[in-house]
Amino acid sequence: MSNKILENIKWFTQNSKASREDDLEIIVSSRIRIARNIDDVPFEIKMKKQDSQRLITLVKSVLETKLRGRFVDMQQITPLEKESLFECHLISPAFIKKEKPAGVFITDTGNISIMINEEDHLRIQGLSRGLDFINILSEVFNVEEIIGADLGYAFDETYGFITSCPTNFGTGLRVSVLLHLPGLVFTNEVEKVLKGAIQIGMTVRGIYGEGSGIKGNLFQISNQHTLGLKEEDVIETITKLTHMIIDIEKKARDVILTKARNEFEDKIFRSLAVLRSARMVNTEEVLNLLSAVRLGVGAGIVRDVTLNTINEILIISRPANIQLYFGEILEERDRDVKRAEYIRKRLGGNGD
Amino acid sequence: MLCDECKKNPATIFFKEVLPGKTVELHLCESCAHKRGLMTAKKMSPIEILQKLLKEKSAHDEQTICPGCYMTLAEFKRVGRFGCSKCVRSFESYIKNLLKQIHQSDKHIGRTLSPGEKKGIEVFKLREELKKALENEAYEEAAKIRDKLRKFGIDNVE
Repeated sequence: MSNKILENIKWFTQNSKASREDDLEIIVSSRIRIARNIDDVPFEIKMKKQDSQRLITLVKSVLETKLRGRFVDMQQITPLEKESLFECHLISPAFIKKEKPAGVFITDTGNISIMINEEDHLRIQGLSRGLDFINILSEVFNVEEIIGADLGYAFDETYGFITSCPTNFGTGLRVSVLLHLPGLVFTNEVEKVLKGAIQIGMTVRGIYGEGSGIKGNLFQISNQHTLGLKEEDVIETITKLTHMIIDIEKKARDVILTKARNEFEDKIFRSLAVLRSARMVNTEEVLNLLSAVRLGVGAGIVRDVTLNTINEILIISRPANIQLYFGEILEERDRDVKRAEYIRKRLGGNGD
Repeated sequence: MLCDECKKNPATIFFKEVLPGKTVELHLCESCAHKRGLMTAKKMSPIEILQKLLKEKSAHDEQTICPGCYMTLAEFKRVGRFGCSKCVRSFESYIKNLLKQIHQSDKHIGRTLSPGEKKGIEVFKLREELKKALENEAYEEAAKIRDKLRKFGIDNVE
């Protein structure tokens, strides 16, 4: 099982050509999803169990002949495995709770997933390490076209792609970027920067989306509007905004590292030392410690840890993933022990 | 980057406005953004706007019915989700205003489907029929299905 999770997140733990290496520390990942429905099929809320099952069969048969990947039937896997797919960013929180038949197709590259019977018939999603919207968008549209060659989408000349919820009407497009902003948090500038993002129609959330809270200085910014905007314009706006925020983040770090170098080096190395030595550690503590180490790697202070390793720990140390990684069901306390063990192993820790 | 307006403070607010024929982009500091009235009201999110609008009931909600899925406008207002692709046209006068308030627009300008692509599940059905026809060695039937598929712009049917 551990191999399967690592396989799921290889897009996040292997080098990419997308962004410059220094920006990869700040831009953790980017994501695009589009919502689509099949024209002649009732929408999710009016679907009978039989309809849901048939749609899965149709879409699955199209995807399996055209794409390399695997299909996961949500009714055939355990709650823990569902939770793990969410922690790997491959399915949405709403998808975990679905009672009607639902399934997800995950490509061999691990970065493209197609949810069948979410709130819409199809949610096609692409992920990337760093900022790589142009490539992800073309991969997502490629899947859209593969399915669209056999099954026609619900589309209206005036209102665009028709979705279950009017908030997705038009392009059905959601573009988001996950940013690591410890500099702005420390200089207290983060709130006004994010307020600025909201003013131009963006929304700001924590790493695991709606209601997950801000942890580990990680902020997810995404567009709110899908009608009256071209896909490229949404991407351009969020790209420019991202570059502007990176610029301010870098300035904030320069200030911190000039004025309080010793204090920051101390915090960074202490965090690394805890990760390399702790015998028990919980998820939230890991997020905060990893943030300091990530900053240290970005500033060239920590040289023996790579961003790939930090990214892997970020995902594998989540509650469901850590259990599947070790292949056993664990109580919270035992998870903390195993999590610490895994992290020590990955960071070349002490005393093992 | 310095604020475009006062040229003194660092810009922390990125402001973009799309006007007919041009796009204005401004990088402002917080105080200049305040002066322009850009930071005053807390903006409601699309979901919050939707939830507020769904509460507004009117007299004909129960009688307004979508012929595609038999959803009534009253039902839509309860659940906030459409039952099929025809609902939007069935409840159009209500939805138009809803979309305007949620998105500040009621016109899609993004990716489009050409009329040939609006085929529902027809193509899929035809492909299945073709498969069966070939299995049964009903070649005349298969040729007819191929012709139908070509009308959808699909030549390579195997």
